Amino acid sequence: MKPLFTAALLICLPVQAAQLSGVVQTALVSADDSHSWQNDGTGLLRHDDNGIALEQSLIRLEQTLNTDFSLDIVANYHADGEQHLGLTQALLQYKPLSAGTVKFKARAGFFYPQMSLENLDTGWLSPYHYTQSAINSWLGEELRIAGLEMSLYSPGRQRRSPWSWELYVGAFRGNDPLGTLISWRGLALHDRQSLHNDRVEFAPYPSVVDPSRINHPDWVEPFHEIDGKTGGYAGLHLSYFQRFELRYYFYDNRANPLAVNAQRLYAWHTRFHSLATSYQLTAETKFIAQWMQGDTEMGPRGVEADFDAWYLLLTHHIAQHRLSLRLDRFMVREDDIWPWDYNDSDGRALTLSWRYDLSSQWQLGLEQHFNQSTVVNRATVGENMDTEQNQTLAIVQFRW
Amino acid sequence: MTYRWSLGWILLFACSGMAAELEVEVKAPDSRPLAHAVVYLLSDAPLPPVKPGTVAEMDQIKKQFKPHILVVQKDTQIVFPNSDSIKHHVYSFSPAKTFELQLYKEKQPALPFDTPGQVELGCNVHDWMLGYIYVVDTPYFAQTDASGVARIEAPAGNYRLYLRHPRIQDAPEALETPLQLGEKTRHRFVLQQPLLPSLQSFEEDTDEFSGYE
Repeated sequence: MKPLFTAALLICLPVQAAQLSGVVQTALVSADDSHSWQNDGTGLLRHDDNGIALEQSLIRLEQTLNTDFSLDIVANYHADGEQHLGLTQALLQYKPLSAGTVKFKARAGFFYPQMSLENLDTGWLSPYHYTQSAINSWLGEELRIAGLEMSLYSPGRQRRSPWSWELYVGAFRGNDPLGTLISWRGLALHDRQSLHNDRVEFAPYPSVVDPSRINHPDWVEPFHEIDGKTGGYAGLHLSYFQRFELRYYFYDNRANPLAVNAQRLYAWHTRFHSLATSYQLTAETKFIAQWMQGDTEMGPRGVEADFDAWYLLLTHHIAQHRLSLRLDRFMVREDDIWPWDYNDSDGRALTLSWRYDLSSQWQLGLEQHFNQSTVVNRATVGENMDTEQNQTLAIVQFRW
Repeated sequence: MTYRWSLGWILLFACSGMAAELEVEVKAPDSRPLAHAVVYLLSDAPLPPVKPGTVAEMDQIKKQFKPHILVVQKDTQIVFPNSDSIKHHVYSFSPAKTFELQLYKEKQPALPFDTPGQVELGCNVHDWMLGYIYVVDTPYFAQTDASGVARIEAPAGNYRLYLRHPRIQDAPEALETPLQLGEKTRHRFVLQQPLLPSLQSFEEDTDEFSGYE
């Protein structure tokens, strides 16, 4: 705790240097007819209206406090959804200078574990697609670490080895509802990261909202602590030069699935493994993949669902152009005692994008997305279980 | 004052002879040439100090130190520009120069390097970045080219020739030799111990998005 206390003191001290950056993306959308989960629908995409939309707007402040400590804060504005202005990340980083070959660093605050090799741009955006993979769409909307992460790491070059490694352990609170969305709505594909105070809507499935059934609201506020238990995760990064990278994480929020708060939000006991890899095939071409497998439980095995998702991504960068292709596969399978509550879903998606840098600040992009999904819960709101969705986005991006 | 100094050096060179050229070749045990190796001449006689105001540059370009190995005469000022649009945090724990510099877009003042020796550079933001500065107490130094050859121009006379490179594992006594520099002198270092791995691949061109920062 001592470093944290020191850090808290340092925040009050005069600052040395700040970097302010930001990204704004405006989209011309040719949307699918299916209503988005944000508008009480069962569609898996963010947009359901044709026209102009604000895709992203965020500001990032990186503040060096002294040699060892820095602050990193990302604030987003979303025109859609329930909350519009808030933080998606706010963390204090401790990374002391060290002459050793095995070093220590830590982060505390509200942040993402570094599971993804897709979300490498400012503000956890993907430099490859606008519509993100099902896995990272879910992490963006429901997962955040409000806690402390510590790491031992060893940069290979300082050991004269091509191999570098990093070990992470983290402890957190305030992520008990994680699992709600994928159990009832299923996995979705989008780039709307939930804000720290956000509420994410979904269709009013009768088994969920009926007072005589689960009596749960048709929304979730993902960053609540419900049972007072601390969750944890561990991760390993391994890389060969900068050519190949592997990241494995195990996450367990250790929630008590019987705990429920006054809003009728449950603690969902959610655990998963995430394995991500990237391989630089040539100087221009990179392959990225991620696989996630886990389960979630709510109530006395009222909902117990296994989930499994992966994507394969190929990106090619030449001159000012970047072409990226991603294939997604995702499914949720239930094994619980409430036959009247449906959790099975599965889907696949193909996303192709072209992004063109006009300058270091301006970028144009086009994206074509197609998905095909089966969500059993759709039948309970009078919709066809099987749906196909198409979406085209034309995006102008400005960054500074 | 400057004139008096200059006159002194001219007289010294006149005594020790005319300008001469030394060609040094450096070969690894497998007979391959070793590029970017640092060679320099020291002498028992006083050598000209660095010209006041001499500034060298160690840049950061695409999250790498450029050049990877820099050699400067003692008392040279070194400036660390940042050609990237992101922050770098350059540091060294080497006895010859222990320092740290947070580098943003704004230009930082140059640092004096006044102790001979090897300075190993790292970046606390980009852990794969590695660079070297060799500070030598002589104006007579050079670096080998791709064919492993370096040329030094110096007044004829008696010197000791030194060789340095971060990948060399040979004992220090094998890396220096007395040398009588004549009009055209050649010397070849053939290393006995295998070189440490190159790890040049850490500088391969990669996708601009190569990890969390």
